[in-house]
Amino acid sequence: MPKLDRSEWYDLARDMNWQFKYVRDTEVFPEALSESKGIRPKAWWNWDEPYKISYRDYVKNQAEKESGVYTVRSALARSGFFEKLDPGWKAAIIAHYGVFAMPEYLATFGEARMGRFGRAAAWRNMALFGTLDEIRHGQLQFSFPHALLNREPRFDWAHKAFHTNQWGAIALRHLFDDMFTANDAVSMAIQLTFVIETGFTNLHFLGLAADAMETGDVEFSTLISSIQTDEARHAQQGEPTLRLLMQHGKKAEAQRLIDVMFWRGWRAFALLTGPATDYYTPLAHRRLSFKEFMLEWIIKQFNDQFRDLGLERPWYWDLFLQELDWLHHALHLGLWFKRPTLWWNPDAGVSVEEREWLEAKYPGWHDRFGTYWHTIAENLRLGNIGHTHQETLFVVCNMCQIPVCSPAVGAPPRQVMRDGRVYTFCSEPCQWIFEQNPARYAGHLSIIDRFLAGHIQPPDIAGVRAYMGLSPAEQGTDATNYSWALELPQAAVKSVA
Amino acid sequence: MAVVPLLAVFRGDFVTLLVLVDDKDTMKVVADKIAYHVINRRLPPQDAPMRVQYNHRALPPDQTVAQAGILPLSFVEVYYDARERRHAGMDRRSYPGRPLER
Repeated sequence: MPKLDRSEWYDLARDMNWQFKYVRDTEVFPEALSESKGIRPKAWWNWDEPYKISYRDYVKNQAEKESGVYTVRSALARSGFFEKLDPGWKAAIIAHYGVFAMPEYLATFGEARMGRFGRAAAWRNMALFGTLDEIRHGQLQFSFPHALLNREPRFDWAHKAFHTNQWGAIALRHLFDDMFTANDAVSMAIQLTFVIETGFTNLHFLGLAADAMETGDVEFSTLISSIQTDEARHAQQGEPTLRLLMQHGKKAEAQRLIDVMFWRGWRAFALLTGPATDYYTPLAHRRLSFKEFMLEWIIKQFNDQFRDLGLERPWYWDLFLQELDWLHHALHLGLWFKRPTLWWNPDAGVSVEEREWLEAKYPGWHDRFGTYWHTIAENLRLGNIGHTHQETLFVVCNMCQIPVCSPAVGAPPRQVMRDGRVYTFCSEPCQWIFEQNPARYAGHLSIIDRFLAGHIQPPDIAGVRAYMGLSPAEQGTDATNYSWALELPQAAVKSVA
Repeated sequence: MAVVPLLAVFRGDFVTLLVLVDDKDTMKVVADKIAYHVINRRLPPQDAPMRVQYNHRALPPDQTVAQAGILPLSFVEVYYDARERRHAGMDRRSYPGRPLER
């Protein structure tokens, strides 16, 4: 039998769309899971994507990728490479696995929901591959840290983090539940695949893959590069969904979905990728600052896409650009102060050379943040370790669940009273997101709400750490055992000379 | 006696703190309780009295939380009152954390 060219059979074999006679459309595609956005069923059948991969090709490609990745892992497992890695880089990858392994697994459910409730056969087909991709990403990112457990027990947090009440895990569960675990297919295509996977995941995975290679962590670089090739494909579910919404006059709804998740994605990536890029990655191996990465990978790309699709930049764009200069520096300082509540050892990353780099990349850094680190270094040199810890909780936002940091003197957090409860927000966009759908978010309790409601016992800082599930052996400390602080007086003398 | 949780910032610091005070605490005590978490940890001490600002108004040092009508989860800001600086103390701009000019 002659073999047809793929283009001759692909659409026919894939597009198994039909009109229902025996059940109502709303029974097959309940709005809660599918969200038609008011677009009639048949119109969705025009949904199309550019990859048009067959299952046979998919399996062949994935098998080759798996073989390549696991070969690298096997070779490196015997090489003792991990011991040679910089302590800051170790922090970056231990943090990464705790943050990403379980969400990759959870994203399987999101993709599967699109695979069942996506409103076009072409989309469901693509989402099936996405489902298989996410199973693979979850397995990879559990398997790799598992192989390193004998070198560093805290790789266990790749699996453990999301099963605890560690404050970052609470923040990430809130974000990822909103984005895919509890999202409808149409909103998810835009919020997960368009906003996060084509935008922020690019930043984190491509940026860190490049940094990993520079640092000599071939294993991590190979792993996340392999994952990113899948992401590039299944992330294509967002754009056709957006185009369809735009064609049917649903620009306002599309814009709202983007504006909500762009802000949420920004806050999370500022917390996670910002410190890893500007503080944990060894100075000699930093190619771009976090801000430069954002400008190159996020802002340019989104600007182009917004223009191409006829969308606007999110209404808070100017505020977002301002935050590029300070937010992740503040969050890094907060992470370091709260290091016993982390499952990794944060690298302060403020040696004399690193401070100069930070000032060069972020003019004004010395005045805004260097003074804090000076006081911290003084305490360390004097042996006042207790003063380098925080004995109370940082207030967190009731939307992003991230500490409420302030760029300006006297800028109070935003507060809203609803049904007798006070909600606190770090910023206008976080408040706006809450007010878009209060019923969706109102029931959630932040770590502060839980503390005040008596869920954390004893109600002190030791009780808080226990509540977060961190044993004393797991609690983070400074990645370089404070060497940066001890070098400072000598360096200061040198600079005077 | 009732515990009042406050959202507190010390002026010049970078983050909002949860600080538990008592409704009988005076503003002087409130300022001390908030400063405990910031001064000598991230900011240097200054030789000037501390003030508590609530609803854009500096409160008298001897006024209590209850008298000021401060509710749970209210936002307060503490700052050094430079007008009443006792001596020529340091402020953040002249603090030696700033790198030396080359």
